[in-house]
Amino acid sequence: MPRGQKSKLRAREKRRRQAPEKPQDLVSAQATTAVGEVFPSLCCPHFNSSPTAGSYRAPQERQRATATTTTPVAVSYTKSNEAANNRGEERPRSSQVQPTALPFQRDLLDEKVVLLVHYLLRKYQKKELITKAGILRNVIQMYRNQFHEILKRASDHLELVFGLDLKEADPNRHIYVLVNKLEPSYDAVPSDHGGVPKTGLLMTILGVIFTNRNRAMEEQVWQTLNVMGLYEGRQHFIFGEPRKLITKDFVKEKYLEYRQVPNSDPPCYEFLWGPRAHAETSKMRVLEFLAKVHDTVPSAFPAWYEEALRDEEERARARAAARAHTAAMASARARAMPAAPPTPNKV
Amino acid sequence: MEEGRAERRRRTEAPSCTQGGARRAGIMTDVHRRFLQLLMTHGVLEERGVRRLQKHCYRVHGRTAAVEELEDFINNINSVLESLYIEIKKGATEDDGRPVYALVNLATTPVSKMASDFAENELDLFRKALELIIDSETGFASSTNILNLVDQLKGKKMRKKEAEQVLQKFVQNKWLIEKEGEFTLHSRAILEMEQYIRETYPDAVKTCNICHGLLIQGQSCETCGIRMHLPCVAKYFQSAPEPRCPHCNDYWPHEIPEVFNPDKEREAGTSKANKKPSRSRQH
Repeated sequence: MPRGQKSKLRAREKRRRQAPEKPQDLVSAQATTAVGEVFPSLCCPHFNSSPTAGSYRAPQERQRATATTTTPVAVSYTKSNEAANNRGEERPRSSQVQPTALPFQRDLLDEKVVLLVHYLLRKYQKKELITKAGILRNVIQMYRNQFHEILKRASDHLELVFGLDLKEADPNRHIYVLVNKLEPSYDAVPSDHGGVPKTGLLMTILGVIFTNRNRAMEEQVWQTLNVMGLYEGRQHFIFGEPRKLITKDFVKEKYLEYRQVPNSDPPCYEFLWGPRAHAETSKMRVLEFLAKVHDTVPSAFPAWYEEALRDEEERARARAAARAHTAAMASARARAMPAAPPTPNKV
Repeated sequence: MEEGRAERRRRTEAPSCTQGGARRAGIMTDVHRRFLQLLMTHGVLEERGVRRLQKHCYRVHGRTAAVEELEDFINNINSVLESLYIEIKKGATEDDGRPVYALVNLATTPVSKMASDFAENELDLFRKALELIIDSETGFASSTNILNLVDQLKGKKMRKKEAEQVLQKFVQNKWLIEKEGEFTLHSRAILEMEQYIRETYPDAVKTCNICHGLLIQGQSCETCGIRMHLPCVAKYFQSAPEPRCPHCNDYWPHEIPEVFNPDKEREAGTSKANKKPSRSRQH
C-alpha cells in the first residue's frame, strides 16, 4: 500500500539532500522546477496500511514538458528520448532547486505508472488475482481516464525490466495475469484464473516427483503434503479435500498423472508429471522453486541441476526447431498466395 | 546482448547523463530479468547466494556470455531500476558482517510489504517490538517485554500465546532475528526500513561512527558514547595493536571481532552458522 504523501516527500527530500552532487548535463536542468512538489504535505502516517493517493512525484521524464504524446507500441529502451529523460532527471542533485507547484500531466502519470508497477509486482509475488477494479481502486484512483495509458506503460516496464508479460486473462471480467516471458511455454500459472492459489502446492508435488527420478510413490507425496498440513480425507479451507485434488482435479487438468505401479501386488500408485506440467513449466522452474523454499540456489543440488540444464537445452532446441518450421511454413504459404497479404507469425 | 569491457566500464563510470542512460537501459537481457525475478522471490540473500544466482542465470540464458563482475552487474541493473523507485540494496549482517542483498521498493513505506501479509494487530506488534529494539541499549528486546505490550495493540485483541507465534512468523519471514529469547532486526528489515526508521524515530535512532549507517547492534565507547557496528569495529581496528576510540582516543575496552572472510568460510565448509557464542552485550 502506498504510504502517505508527507512521508514519501520527506523521504525523497532526505535522499536528495544526502545524495552526492552529480553534474547536470541537461540544458533544461534549471527547469527542474517544473517537477513541482505538487502535493501538499499532510500528516505523517506510520504503519499506514490503508491505501492513500499515490501522490509522490516520479522524477522521470520531468523535463518532457515539451514532449508530446505517449509513445505507444513497444517501448524500446534504447530510444534515447524516453530513456534519456529517465536517466538524466533522476533526483536533482543541486540542492538549490526549489521546485514550484507546476504540475505537468506527464509527471502525475509517471507516478501512477511507478505505483502500478509496484502493485503488479506485489500481486505477482503473492500469486494474487489482478483485477481492473483493484487497480483502479488502489492505484489509478482519480486518473480513471488514463487507465489504459498508465497500464500500458507499467506493463512495458514490467516486460522490459522483469520479463513479465501482462495479459488480459478474462476480458469480460477484466482480470489480468502476469506471465513469465522468460519461459515462453510457462503460461499463466495454473488456476490463477480461479483465484485460488494452488500453484505452490502443485509446484511442490512436481518437485517431489522430479527429485524422485521423475516418479513419486503415493506415500512420498502424502508425506510432503502432511508436512504442509494437508491430510487425506480432511477438508482444507483453501484446497478442499487433498486426495480429490491431487488424484482427480490435477489429473483431469493434465498436470499430474496418477497410475498404478506396473505389476504391483498389492497395487500401489505413483505420480508423474502430466503433459500440461511439461508444457507449462520446466524442471528448472521447479528446481528454482525448491531452492527458494530451502533458502538456497538451484546449483546446490548438482545432480538435479544437471538434469534440469539438460532439459532446458532440449527445450531451447525444440523451440528453435518449431520457430524454423513455422517460418518455413509461412514463407511457403506466402509464396503460394502472392495476392494475399502476409500474415504475421506468432512464433 | 554483449558489450566489450571498455564499453561496460565507460557506462558504469559515466555520470547520470542522457547518453549514458540510453545505453545503460539497453543492457537488460534475459539474464538480468531472470536474476531480478529470482532475487525478488528471495526477499534477502547473502552475497554467496547472489553470486550463485547470477551464475545460474547466465547458465540458463546466456551460456556463452562471460559472467559480469557482480558489482557491475548489479549497478547496471540498478541504473535501470532507478526510474521505477526500486533498488538492489547491499548491506551487511550486523553480527558478523556478511554482505547481503535485497530488492527494495523505495517508494512506499517498507511496512507495506508486510502489510499485505499481516493483520493490523500483528503489524502493531511489530511496531511495538521495533520501538523496543530501537530504544534498547543492546539492540535487543526481550520476548517478555514485547509480550507485555500485547494489551496495547490496535485491532483485534491478541493473547500472549498468539503473540509468541506472530513473533515466530516475523522470524520466519526474515523481519526479526531471535537469540536466546530476545529479538532484534533482521538485516532484511534494516535494509528495507532504514530510511523509515530514521524518519520515524529520529531521536532514538543510533548510527555507526564509521559508516554512518543505522545501528541496531554494536559496540560503544564507554567514555564518549559513540557507537560502531561490529563489522565496522573489525575493519577499523584490523591491524591496530592497541585499539583506541576514533572519537575520544580512549582505550577501546571491547573484544575486537574478526573481519568477515568468505574464503575462510568456504574452506571450513560451514554454511551460515552462528559463529558468535553469545550476543555481544558490549554497550
